Amino acid sequence: MSYDVKTWVDVAAFVGAGLSMGLGAIGAGIGEGLTAARATLAISRNPEASGEIFKTMLVGQAIAETAGIFGLVIAMMLLFVKNPNPSFIMVAVFIGAGLCMGFGAIGSGVGGGFPAGEACTGIARQPAMTKRLNTTMLIGSSICQTPAIFALVTALILLFSDFSALPLCPTWAAVLGAGFACGIAAIGPGIGDGLVAGACCESVARQPSSATIATTTMLLGMAVTETTAIYGLLVSFILMFKTFPATDAIAPAMALLGAGLCMGIGAIGPGIGEGLTAYSAVGQVGKNQKNSAELVRVMLVGQAVSESTGIYSLVIALVLIFVV
Amino acid sequence: METIRQTQKKYCTRAITVAIFAGLLFILIDYKPIGKGLILGTVFSILNFILMGEMLPLKIGKTKGKTFMFSLGSIFFRYFILAIPMVMAIKLEQYNLISVVVGIFFVQVFIMADHLLDFLWSARGKQV
Repeated sequence: MSYDVKTWVDVAAFVGAGLSMGLGAIGAGIGEGLTAARATLAISRNPEASGEIFKTMLVGQAIAETAGIFGLVIAMMLLFVKNPNPSFIMVAVFIGAGLCMGFGAIGSGVGGGFPAGEACTGIARQPAMTKRLNTTMLIGSSICQTPAIFALVTALILLFSDFSALPLCPTWAAVLGAGFACGIAAIGPGIGDGLVAGACCESVARQPSSATIATTTMLLGMAVTETTAIYGLLVSFILMFKTFPATDAIAPAMALLGAGLCMGIGAIGPGIGEGLTAYSAVGQVGKNQKNSAELVRVMLVGQAVSESTGIYSLVIALVLIFVV
Repeated sequence: METIRQTQKKYCTRAITVAIFAGLLFILIDYKPIGKGLILGTVFSILNFILMGEMLPLKIGKTKGKTFMFSLGSIFFRYFILAIPMVMAIKLEQYNLISVVVGIFFVQVFIMADHLLDFLWSARGKQV
């Protein structure tokens, strides 16, 4: 049984579409489930605020599922956009794009659920702060979508760039590595960002007077949490735009694939860890506003230490690309 | 449910009004596929938002596991509906794919813009 190039390209497009939508729906499903579970508790605690809680849940879920819709967009493009000049490199490109968007949507989907859920709980606790809680939740949820936007950009570049002039080996590994680097690296920061935004909503509800300092600390904490997703984006851009010499050996190709995997997997832990650090700091800033400067300093030092393993992954990925 | 309906009405009205005006502008300056695509995407974005609101009460009062499974089912169902305008844009030349995708995010854009503007106004008010 033998297949022509076009058949392989179609198969890759179907697999890529399945990965993009299937993996993308996991994050959005967990995020929406988290929000609904917290809303249930909130309504049980304060049934009179159920109208506002429902409203917050609806708006929060609409933003949290944005990453899932990115997955849908890439899946539809993979399924229906015509490929006039199919080549074997497109097999790797399509699977890479699907993997990138699918993995990239998981973290942001889950992360978006935390602020929405905490905002529902906060409204039950402090109905007078509804408007401020909604704003904080939406700012937090929107920033949570940034790693998924990185994955969307990478997937679109993969889909619309012309790789056909490049040598099949090791370019196939470079494009797959790019998908892994940006997609998997988005998981940790997405979840970490969500934790920070959730803590800010909780802090605003518990200590309304701390809303401004809590929001500022949240923005700072989220910015640092996202750096490992930026490393993933950087490695995927190098893998996509650097021209690698043609070779028949398998080792250079595996080095590029390894670089993508190294950066992607290596960013999960630091992303969540930095999010946990900022989660705690944002919560404590609300309770202890007098010492907020010291708390923010400790948070930044803690995040820097937590980030070190992400930096090691970046260094090894760069060594694999440029040295090996 | 009344609060949800009011919220839906607020954002959906704004989204469709802007989409129609922007769409007509594009059609008038001879970018018909872009204008039509924007309106088509926004209509389905609104449909998705309304369905999401209608399904909300069904998620309440269940265990975490059941809520997750229901959320996943609801997502797949609504994403199937969101796929329709994209398939139309890919298959039919009279709709522009990018403007359909932009239209699909119109409700989310208006939710964020509304709260961001509120936040900026209140911050400015405090300064004055």
